[in-house]
Formats: sequence, structure tokens, C-alpha cells
Amino acid sequence: MITQRGFIVVFAGVLLLTSGFSFVNFYFILMGVYLLIGLVVTLPLFALTANLAGIEVDRQIDKVKVFSGDFLRVRVSIKNISRRHFDFIEVHDLYPETWILAIGENFIASRIEPASSITFSYILQARMRGRYFIGPTEVIMRDRLGLHYYSRTLKAHTEVLVYPTWKDVRRMEALGKQRQLGLMFGAHRTKTVGMGSDFVGFRDYTPGDEFRLIDWKTSAKRGDMVIKQFEMEKNIQVICMVDTSGSMGNGYPENTKLEYAIRAAVLLTHMGLERKDLIGTCVFSDIVHSYVPPGVTPNHMYSVLEALAGAEPRGWSDYETAIEYVVKQTKKRSLIIWLTDLEESPAPLLNAMKALVANGHKAMVISPFGPWFEAPVGQFGPVEKVLSEAVSEELWERRNKIAQALARFSIEVINVGPEDFLPTIIKTYEHAKQKGVAMF
Amino acid sequence: MRVVTWILRVASIATFAGMAYLVYSLLDSNDIWHWAAPYDFVVTVFRLLSLLVFFFTSTMISGLAAVLSGTLPNDIIVGLYNVIVLRSWYMQPYGVDGPMTNLAQVWASFQTNLDQVLIALWDNTFLFLYFLFAGIGIALFLQSLFRMDHKFVGGAFISIQLILILAAYRLLTVPNLDPFPTDFFVFLGMNAQLLALVSFAYLEVSYQMIYSYSVGKPIEEREETLKKQLLALRQATRKQDAIERGEKVSTTGMSRTSGLIAFSFLREAIERKVVGTQDALENLDAISDVRRLQIFVDELLQSDPKAKDELTAKAASPSSFYVIGSAISGSAIRFLSVIAIAFILLNPSALMILLNLPQGIEHSIEILQPEIILLFLVPIILAFPFVSMIITWFSRREVEETEELTEEEKEAERQRRKEAARRRKEAAKARKTRAEARKKRKGHEIEVDEWDKALEDSYRR
Repeated sequence: MITQRGFIVVFAGVLLLTSGFSFVNFYFILMGVYLLIGLVVTLPLFALTANLAGIEVDRQIDKVKVFSGDFLRVRVSIKNISRRHFDFIEVHDLYPETWILAIGENFIASRIEPASSITFSYILQARMRGRYFIGPTEVIMRDRLGLHYYSRTLKAHTEVLVYPTWKDVRRMEALGKQRQLGLMFGAHRTKTVGMGSDFVGFRDYTPGDEFRLIDWKTSAKRGDMVIKQFEMEKNIQVICMVDTSGSMGNGYPENTKLEYAIRAAVLLTHMGLERKDLIGTCVFSDIVHSYVPPGVTPNHMYSVLEALAGAEPRGWSDYETAIEYVVKQTKKRSLIIWLTDLEESPAPLLNAMKALVANGHKAMVISPFGPWFEAPVGQFGPVEKVLSEAVSEELWERRNKIAQALARFSIEVINVGPEDFLPTIIKTYEHAKQKGVAMF
Repeated sequence: MRVVTWILRVASIATFAGMAYLVYSLLDSNDIWHWAAPYDFVVTVFRLLSLLVFFFTSTMISGLAAVLSGTLPNDIIVGLYNVIVLRSWYMQPYGVDGPMTNLAQVWASFQTNLDQVLIALWDNTFLFLYFLFAGIGIALFLQSLFRMDHKFVGGAFISIQLILILAAYRLLTVPNLDPFPTDFFVFLGMNAQLLALVSFAYLEVSYQMIYSYSVGKPIEEREETLKKQLLALRQATRKQDAIERGEKVSTTGMSRTSGLIAFSFLREAIERKVVGTQDALENLDAISDVRRLQIFVDELLQSDPKAKDELTAKAASPSSFYVIGSAISGSAIRFLSVIAIAFILLNPSALMILLNLPQGIEHSIEILQPEIILLFLVPIILAFPFVSMIITWFSRREVEETEELTEEEKEAERQRRKEAARRRKEAAKARKTRAEARKKRKGHEIEVDEWDKALEDSYRR
């Protein structure tokens, strides 16, 4: 392949040759011949030496799973496995468009000797969760004068799984530390009097109490029979239903309803694990994409993160299928928190709720309201403004009707925007803890 | 690498100076290097313009006067000429030294003068163009030394050669090899051959200079960029610490340039902080990102001693000795092969030996014409790319990319797809069953479903 500078030489050569023919001048012809021959004379030699198969590119990364916003070092080694030297080699290692090159450069231009290698590295910041690929690597080889080139794209990709951002957890922990109250700030364990080993106090004996619970010593002192009471700490079981239907993907990139729902799910799981509660996660749209049953194992958080990392806004919300799947898998009473925008028809949602309540579970809906996640009305022109307001009103009314229908069966619907999504999930969880909803 | 680039830069200056001097001296016999040529050209252009304005003004005024008065008023022309033209336009060069009283005389004078000016302009234009191309050539050459771009090298070369092409067009004495020498050494010693060789050497040396620069510079720049980035990062972290402590921070112009221009990541982080004032959390994220990057880099540099060298790609810098050695040997090979092939192509005796030409053609004048070289030039020029194409075909076989997924990965991917399809199928089946059940219930059940009723009630309200 001839490069741009090669074409300049061709142009000059042809110009001089035609001038020589026109003015019957051998100097111009000689000059034209020099240029044209000079351009092509080393081409076979270059083709022979520039065997791109002699180049091996190896990419190494420190971690294959990172959190969104984390930094990642990418090391690229270029090996010349042939016996020839390459005069000029350019290597461009491509990375995902949404990521940021934080330190260093992702390309190198140099010369490489036989059986030697060049290593360079750069630091990337992973943005936005998902499955990404670093690569391919583009290798361009030029001759010394840059008149010809060959290029090859090495298809080797390095897969990186980017978990949802951890910044909310970090922020919450930082807040806890600032207030000198530790990680359990604001959280109270759900306690049940009755079973257990922690002493609570005494109460008067009532007929029907078990004799073994009577504290004889205290009864003797008081002259009346008293019962010794114990309490047991209870944990709750929560299942977070994350809707990944197409409509959840609306909004600004990185600030879509789905992104917030995922952040909320991560935060909820983290809080639950901190307090030894069982938190499960179900990612669904028209099918159940993944389901992580409630658990407290050390790897539970990573299982949830992996399930959420791959979530893509696609399809429609089939609440019935999702709840059928979850109910089948869950034997204990659970609080099921739906993170959905309620933009599907209400009947399947109500049927799903019916199945849920019939199986003894509790439920609530935290619903991101679409217009609050999209462009602010202030940015619109007069026509768009009127239209958007009309659409918002229509959606709001529809949502209120669904909320009223669900409220009859004690299922609360909380409408949230980007600002109050995460505080709402924290509040909901704390509330559930205090009330002892869905204890096991 | 800087030394090699400087050596080649000096060589490039020398060859360009040689080429320019040869062009100057070889064309000097034509007496074209009049240093006043650019001035004469500009003056001639202005003369032409003044003449045109004079003609159009006098015609327009006469026309207007004729429309108004009905006859051609010669007095107005006289008045106009005396008042405006003689004062404003320099007409002496055309032999006009007194007032013209007749419009027909004005037109006749204009015709004669215009021819004179156009001929003078034609001559002066070429003299001017020699200087113009020389000026452009020198300007592009100087640019090429600093910007290291092949466009400037090519432009400088073409500009200097265009002087010769123009001179040839004007039928001036230009370097020529007519008749083409049959002796190789005579050919080597000829002035025209010397000029061609020096011109070719200029291109070769300049391209080698750009190569040397391109091979060494990215790595040097990489090191510089990394230094700036790390410095900017440290400064930004310190500033944030100071702000958090409540100290006043002054921003200098220097730190702004090094911090913002050199480092896009930091710039983006700071922009997020500045622009996103509406959201305090965004500020926290921006600061946190910079600080976390600082910690990441510090840990990396501490834990891996090679990390810094890899970020700068220091080891990739090629040896200076090898580059200069290979530049000399490569250029020598190219020179020798180019001269030899060109001599064979242009030499008529070589043609006669190689081609068994009929007597008539062999003794004809056509064999001495320049176009005869096309007989060999075209196939030879095409032969090189053809050979390289064949080589590339063979080497491409090795380049064939193979799918790099392992068997396990392929199996996992297959399983994943299978599982998704199964779930989709099951969901569809369940939906169908539910729909059928609902249909049946509607037929048999008399009482309305509680949930449906709730929804209907809500919608009715």
C-alpha cells in the first residue's frame, strides 16, 4: 500500500516525466525516473521483510473484573518473533469508547529488532458497568521513508467485566465514619421476644406459659410467679426485583433508570450483608436473566454484582414470569422490592402481585418516574415543553391509578427521581428492619 | 535519537542548499535572476489596473454626458482627463503626456497601451514566478526542518523543480542531457545528472530525517507527557487537601497549563467539579477520582519497579548507531540501484542491445526521442509492485487470523445461548398457559376477580 507521501512522490515523478516529454528535456525525464524507480525499488524488499505474522502482541491486565470508576493498568508487549527487523512499527491498542485514558498513551511507534520485544503500558478508568473488550490491536508497519505500509489488526480481545459502581457504598461508609457511629449507624436489628438466649426481663405468669420459663428464685422473692423473658435477633429476607426492560434504559447515559435501579440493588445488598440479612436479586425483563437467591456467603456480593453487571435494557417487563420463577425458588417469607418503572400494562403486574401475596410474601414498588430522568423541561422549546408536560401528566395519572390499585392490598408504590432513588432504598430497608417485615 | 535527527537535519540543509545553488547557477546564463523582478511585476499589475480604471471611467462619464446632453461632449473628457487622470494615474510610460480631447483618441490610445501592458505583464509574470517558487520552496524547506512533515519536504522539492519546468516552458537554457551519454562515467559527471542526484538526495535525506524523528520522538514525548501527568496529579491532590483544610489556594498560569492541557483526565475531573455545581455529590466524585488515581499510581510505582519504564516505554527506544548505520546503507543501496536502472532505461544503446530492433527504427530519429523510455519504464515500474504483491500473498497466509476462543469458552457461550433460549421458550409457554387459564375462568366464573375489580375501580374513579 502506498502512503500519502508515496503519492506525493508519484505526483512529482509523473509531473517531471510529462514535462520532459513536452519540452524534450532529458533532465526532467531522468528526475522523473529517479523518483518513480526510487519509490518502487525497495518495495519487494519491504514486502519480504514486513511480514506482519512475525509480530506477536500480548496484552495483560491486572484484573479482569473491576468496579465502574476503578483504574486498570494495561500492559502491551510487542514481540518480533521473526528474524528480520522492522524499521517502523506503530501499535494502537484500542479500548472501549466510554472508558477514559487516565495515564500514559495507548499507542507506540518505534523500531523493533529481531527476537526482541517492546512493552508499554497505560492506565484506564473503567466507566459504566457491563462486559467490555480491550482490543483489537492495530499494527501498522512502514518502510523507512514512509512510502509504503502494511497494516494488520490483531483480533485478540481481553474481556473485562465492569461491576456497577461502588461509590454509593463508599459514600455511605464515609458518612458513617464521619459521624463516629460506625457502619451500623441508623440500623437496628429486629428483635423478637420469646426464643433466644439474650435476657430481656420478667413478666407476670399467665396461664398457658411453659413451666420451664418460670424463674423460681425471683418468684420466691416476689411472692408471685414470674416468667423470665429472652429475646432473639431476627434477620429479614429481601428480594430485589430489577426490571431491565427497554424503557428502563431511558435517560442520560450513566443516569438511566436502570443504572439507578442497579445502584440501589448494590446498596441494598451491601447493607443487608453488613447486617447479616438475606438479600437476593432477580434481574428480569421478558425472561428472568439471572437470579441470585438470598444468601450471606462471602461471595454473595460478587454473584449479585456479576448478575447486575451484565444487565442490558432490552425487551419488555413480564412480571408474572419473573415472580413465578422467584416464588418457585423461595421457600421463606420475603419482602420483595420491585425496582420497575411501571410502564407496562397494569393487569400482568396485578396478577404478579396476586401470586406474590398468595404465597405469603410482602411487596413494595420503588418506581423511577421516567420524565424525572430525562432532559430537564427548562432545556426545551415552547412546543416540546407543552408536549412533555402533557406526557408527564398522563404518565403520572396512570401511575396513580396503579398505585391506588396496589394500595388496596397493602403494596406501597414510591415514585422516585434520580435524587431520592438511593435514599428511598435505604429508608425502605431500615423501615423493613424496624417493622420486622419478612423475618426468618 | 536526537543526535541522529540533528545529523540528518544538517544533511538535509546541505542537500537543499546544493539543489538550490545548482538551479540558480544553471539558470543564471539566461539572465533571469533580476532582483527587481518582483517589484516590476507588482508595478505592471498596478499599471494594468490603472489603465482599466481610466478606460472605464472615461467611457462611463462620456456615456452619461451623452445621455444627458444628446451629443458626445469632448470637453468633459478633456476636463476629466486633466483633473482626474493625469493627477491620479501614471500614464507617461505609454507616451501620453498631454490632455486627450477626443474620445475616439482615448479608445485608440487604450487599445495600444493595453497590448503593451499585457505583453510586459506576461514577461514579468514568469520572472516573478521564478522568485515566487524559490520563496515558497525555501519557506517549505524551513518548515520541514521543524515540523518534520513530509508534506513540507515534498512541497519544497516540487517548488524548486517547478522553476526549471517554467524555464523550460519559456524556452530558456535549462539543464539537459541531450544527447544522452553512452558512457556511464560521463553521465555521472554531467551537470544535469548532478542536479538530479542532489535533488533526489534531498528527498532521501529529508525522509530519513523524518523517520529518525518519528522513531525517537514518540518515546521522548511519552516520557515528557507522563512526567507532566504525574506532576499535575500530585498538584491537584495537594490542592484538594489544602482546600479541605480550609487554606487559600492560588492558581498560577503555569500550573493551569501543565495541569489542564497536558492531562485530559484531570481536566475532565475538574470540569465535572466546576460544571456540576448543581450536584454536590458530583464534586465529591471528581475529587475522589483524582485522589484514587493518585493512590493507584503511587501503589503501582511502589509495587512494580518496572512500571514507570513501561508507562514511558523507555526500553522501546531504538539504538542511535543502528539507525544512522542503516540510514547510510539503505540510502546507498537506493542511490546505486536508482542510478543504474535510470542509466539503463535512458541509454539508447542499452535499448538497442536489449531489443532486436529493425534497422529502420534503429537508425531513425525516434530512438533518440524521450518517449522511447516508456518501452521499458512502464514494465519495470510495474514489475516491482507485482513482485511485492506475490510476496505479500505468500506472507498473508501466515497472517490469517484464527478465532481465539478456546473450546471451553465456545462451549460456555453455546450453553449460555441455549439457556437463554430455554428460558425464553419457558416464559412464552407459561404466558400461553396463563392466558388460556384466564380465558377458561372468564367463561366459568361468575364473580369478578378481586384484583381486576380493584383495578377497574381505580380506573373508574
